[in-house]
Amino acid sequence: MLATGRPALPAGARTAQAHRRARVPLEPYWFMAPAVVMLATVYLGPMIYAVMTSTTHWVLTEPGSETIRAGLQNYKDVLGAPSFWQAVKITLLYTLTSVSLSLTLGTLLALLLDNELHFASFFRSIMLIPMVITPAVIAIFWKLLYEQEQGVLNSLLMALGFGKVAWLGLEYAFFSMVIMDSWQNTPFFMLVILAGLQSVDGNLMDAARVDGANVFQRFRYVTLPHLVPYMLIAAAFRGIATMNDFDKIWLLTQGGPGEATTTITVYTYKIAFSSFDMGRTTAIALIFVVIVLIASAPLLRHLFRAARRQA
Amino acid sequence: MTLAGSHNTKRLLLSTLCLAIGVVYLFPYAWMVLTGFRSALDTLSLRFVFEPTLEGFRAVIGDSIFRAYMLNSIIVATATTALVLTVAAPAAFALAHLPIRGTGFLLFVLIVRMVPGIAILIPIYLVASRLGLLDTHGVLIVLYSTFNLPFAIWLLRGFFCDVPGEIREAAIIDGCSERQVFLKIMLPLTSSGIVATGVFVFIAAWNEFLFALALTNNFAATAPLAMVAFRSEYGVQWPSIGAAAFIISTPVVLFAVVMQRFLVRGLTMGSVKG
Repeated sequence: MLATGRPALPAGARTAQAHRRARVPLEPYWFMAPAVVMLATVYLGPMIYAVMTSTTHWVLTEPGSETIRAGLQNYKDVLGAPSFWQAVKITLLYTLTSVSLSLTLGTLLALLLDNELHFASFFRSIMLIPMVITPAVIAIFWKLLYEQEQGVLNSLLMALGFGKVAWLGLEYAFFSMVIMDSWQNTPFFMLVILAGLQSVDGNLMDAARVDGANVFQRFRYVTLPHLVPYMLIAAAFRGIATMNDFDKIWLLTQGGPGEATTTITVYTYKIAFSSFDMGRTTAIALIFVVIVLIASAPLLRHLFRAARRQA
Repeated sequence: MTLAGSHNTKRLLLSTLCLAIGVVYLFPYAWMVLTGFRSALDTLSLRFVFEPTLEGFRAVIGDSIFRAYMLNSIIVATATTALVLTVAAPAAFALAHLPIRGTGFLLFVLIVRMVPGIAILIPIYLVASRLGLLDTHGVLIVLYSTFNLPFAIWLLRGFFCDVPGEIREAAIIDGCSERQVFLKIMLPLTSSGIVATGVFVFIAAWNEFLFALALTNNFAATAPLAMVAFRSEYGVQWPSIGAAAFIISTPVVLFAVVMQRFLVRGLTMGSVKG
């Protein structure tokens, strides 16, 4: 993105700007008003309502229970429940494995694609497909691939002389979920890192070549340091999105078998629409918000700095 | 001569490798598409050679529920795109060009973006049910629009920042109001960015599942929910599911391929060049 900056203006323009600023200082804010109103209504309102709800013993199936005060009891219950910590653990493991796997594969693909190739842009285009397909669709067709008795993957394994794998059984369900998510997101890492590769300073590369650096040294000391910021940004964006993932997991496994794939989102949804305990559900949701905000703090800081530089 | 020759060989080898990876990589998607063209007896077998049939597509298109869900998706995603652009473009213009202190707002917008959907689902569900808004198009349109605002504002702000500030200054000197600058100068200059942003918003609204699942029943239910309906309604009618999956995913795939140029920028809110 071009940083336009604010170059020196002709004197007349500067006074015109100062004049406008003095006369209608509120006008710019009108441009932002609708956005502010919408964001406040849909986010702040429910958040405040959630904080209030989380301090009640409100169960939808018990009329009148919303007025029963609970103080911090819901939070104590949630934080004391092993199933909650299990869900936190699964969420973090899922995010870490899925992001590292797709980051690695994406980097390799980007390095491959950075060469002069035939059909390079065609290849880039078709690799976009997994990234954007409706997650509900992805989950359903991966379920078809994972089908134990006659599914494609097991049929392939059998044809190659291996045994069948219970892809969605207790032992492998977690990995099957990771594979599905990485499949979808590897192209995202590929594209971001490719953008990074194509902005490597050619002079620097030539200098390294003249100095006698071989291809691995050039990668290690010139390319990689340049790529790290791109990798971090991509990993941060994907990490946050993966933590919030619901559709694909819900439709692939519904969090099962047992709790093998129950992430916090699935856990929250299950509690909400099985126990109807609104107090406890909102407490879980708010704790989750705190976890996600802590995890995204570095990304927020980076984006904020980038925005300020641009302004 | 030999040098050029080895260069060409390397290029051919790498291209072939790339093609092979692409084929393997897209196998799951290809399999799904093929499933839509199989007969019910042909699915769940590894036979690559089969007689294509349109049974699956006929079953799906003939299904009034599926048609209704698709129509709902078109209504909701289109209205969401229009609303987001109407609200986000002026805000992004102000943040890029007008003398305001907007960095605090930008940060706020970002924090809002990081809030997990599931966290506000329950309060929104409760409020919507009290207001009698469950299972309406309106509630989905307003929610999806708001969810996409932060992203749209950031992305559009990037496009507006690419327009030199002097253009605005000159127009103001010529007597334009800020509103005229925005409508008559900035919008035309950033039209390609606006289209790109619109496509992103459309894709996001089209793909959303959680809120549609929780807040709609059957009147306003959207296309992704049709996948669930098909699974339970037809048991193992894989051709119908394959056909439905193909129909639902095709619009977003087409959009993505057309918008390839903007995709990276969009998905990272412009924090990385694309």
